[in-house]
Amino acid sequence: MYKLIFLLGLLISNLLYAGTGDEEPNYTAIIMFILFVGVTLFITYWASKKTHTAKSFYTAGGNITGLQNGLAISGDFMSAASFLGISGLVYLSGFDGLIYSIGFLVGWPIILLLIAEPLRNLGKYSFSDVVSFRLKQKPIRILAACGSLSTVILYLIAQMVGAGKLIEILFGLPYYSAVMIVGGLMISYVTFGGMLATTWVQIIKAVLLLFGATLMALLVLSQFEFNFNQLFSEAVNIHSKGEYIMAPGGLISDPVSAISLGLALMFGTAGLPHILMRFFTVPDAVQARKSVVYATGFIGYFYILTFIIGFGAIVLVSNNPEYLNNSGALIGNNNMAAIHLSHAVGGDILLGFISAVAFATILAVVSGLTLAGASAISHDLYANAFIKGQNNEKIEMKVSKLATIFLGVLAVFLGILFEEQNVAFMVGLAFAIAATTNFPILILSIYWKNLTTRGAVIGGSAGLFIAIFLVILGPVVWVDIFGNNEAIFPYKYPALFSMIVTFVGIWFFSKTDKSKNSINEKKLFESQYFRSQTGVGIDKPNAY
Amino acid sequence: MQTRNTKEIYQQLKKARIKILIPLILLTITSYFFFIWIIAFNPIFFGILIFDTNISIGIFLGFLLILLIFLITLIYVYLANKILEPLINKIQTNV
Repeated sequence: MYKLIFLLGLLISNLLYAGTGDEEPNYTAIIMFILFVGVTLFITYWASKKTHTAKSFYTAGGNITGLQNGLAISGDFMSAASFLGISGLVYLSGFDGLIYSIGFLVGWPIILLLIAEPLRNLGKYSFSDVVSFRLKQKPIRILAACGSLSTVILYLIAQMVGAGKLIEILFGLPYYSAVMIVGGLMISYVTFGGMLATTWVQIIKAVLLLFGATLMALLVLSQFEFNFNQLFSEAVNIHSKGEYIMAPGGLISDPVSAISLGLALMFGTAGLPHILMRFFTVPDAVQARKSVVYATGFIGYFYILTFIIGFGAIVLVSNNPEYLNNSGALIGNNNMAAIHLSHAVGGDILLGFISAVAFATILAVVSGLTLAGASAISHDLYANAFIKGQNNEKIEMKVSKLATIFLGVLAVFLGILFEEQNVAFMVGLAFAIAATTNFPILILSIYWKNLTTRGAVIGGSAGLFIAIFLVILGPVVWVDIFGNNEAIFPYKYPALFSMIVTFVGIWFFSKTDKSKNSINEKKLFESQYFRSQTGVGIDKPNAY
Repeated sequence: MQTRNTKEIYQQLKKARIKILIPLILLTITSYFFFIWIIAFNPIFFGILIFDTNISIGIFLGFLLILLIFLITLIYVYLANKILEPLINKIQTNV
């Protein structure tokens, strides 16, 4: 508890110091933010008293309801990157923002229809529990942990750099201290409060963000007599691209990219470790199902709001000199469209509120990511791959807390290292890896009888390497970052190619696997499938 | 472990689940890739304005697709709770 109070004190002094910059600090933002941190640290303290076992650390005791989990999942999904990024993309090019929103959303029916229930019925703490249910523990755990950790770390870097930049602009704090505050708070949420604290931080933030975005969309629409037609026609009149903002633009230029991006978004969602982990926090398959419906509803609604917010920003921000710099571009960058719009429709108070919510969003998302990464290290690598299940729960908990601190420090370090880099491609790469490695091994282990350890390991790791390789050789890294003239691999999105490699690899090396082990693995499929469909044999939630 | 009765219900459950899943999965994947397909091959079509307004076909269909995705999850959960859950409960009490 004293540590938490100390941390809060440190934060307040830091924020007050921020007020000594050139610009008048936004007191609403600072008060709102301190309030959020205070409440969440109190929740962490409360959660820490209930978090004694590995089960409560990873899954909040399995007692979260469908509605709570739905909110927490949508909180994981409504990151600052998607709130500011998608509204910024709509602001920049109109319709194209919708391509991302729909791609992110369409993964959810896939998760619900094919993954949620078997995942809940077969797993304990992480999706690799499911994959290694009948396959060999060590190689499968290592592969799944590699997939999880690369997804988590790439995502963390993108969030950290975004966070640092955002806080720098909003609160006038130096980049370094912004990144360190995020790192410090996230480590304390996760190490002390585990999944229970992380879930509640996520729920509170999801409610705040949905409320804030709704308010903004209503304020925008109220200026157009709640008439979409009027909003769109004024946006077309003002935007430099004119009527082209109502149609697909430059985001996708050829069919291969279109399908590749579509696959990465759709199946990547179904392979994100921090999302999959949330299905172990509910007591059974019924609640798992329910949570997806709530999550899909909230996320879909949220994307409609960001679309309205983006169009609102075109009309109300793009030709208001207050928000533009000397060259006529938005102050900050296009991702600040929503932030400026909050000021345009609601003055300093709404600006403060939305800024604080954006900061809270980053904190909550990085906490969820770190917890998923820590469970890959402690539960998959340490407890099941290296000491092979001769497990002492207390030691596993200690390892996961150390892993959290390690990941937190690593995230801060990488956040500082990548400050000047364009990190937008990292989220794309994270989705590509999730779609290429995590999703195929998970789905095939649940539904394909002939999957063997050999097939999963060779196919899964081949896909992982190909995905990373193609991104490095592609236009985003090879041309934009390394400064070469022409990309060796012409497409921005690798998922179409890397997913084919994974599926063909898994199919071929499983089919030709005649080892004794593989025969046994195929035999175990029937009983695994029975459990995945009926939930017979799963753990009961903790009783508090 | 599995009695004859349980086996029969389990077969019923598998059949019922496939009947619910296949149309919903097909609907999800075809509607999404139809959308992506038009973006890739005929983006101009999505820019056509409809009903004498400034709303384009692309934006209209995009909003509709968001609604459809939500409806798919709603329909599945309704059917699963009504048809699958009773079968699952029977199996759980039998075993």
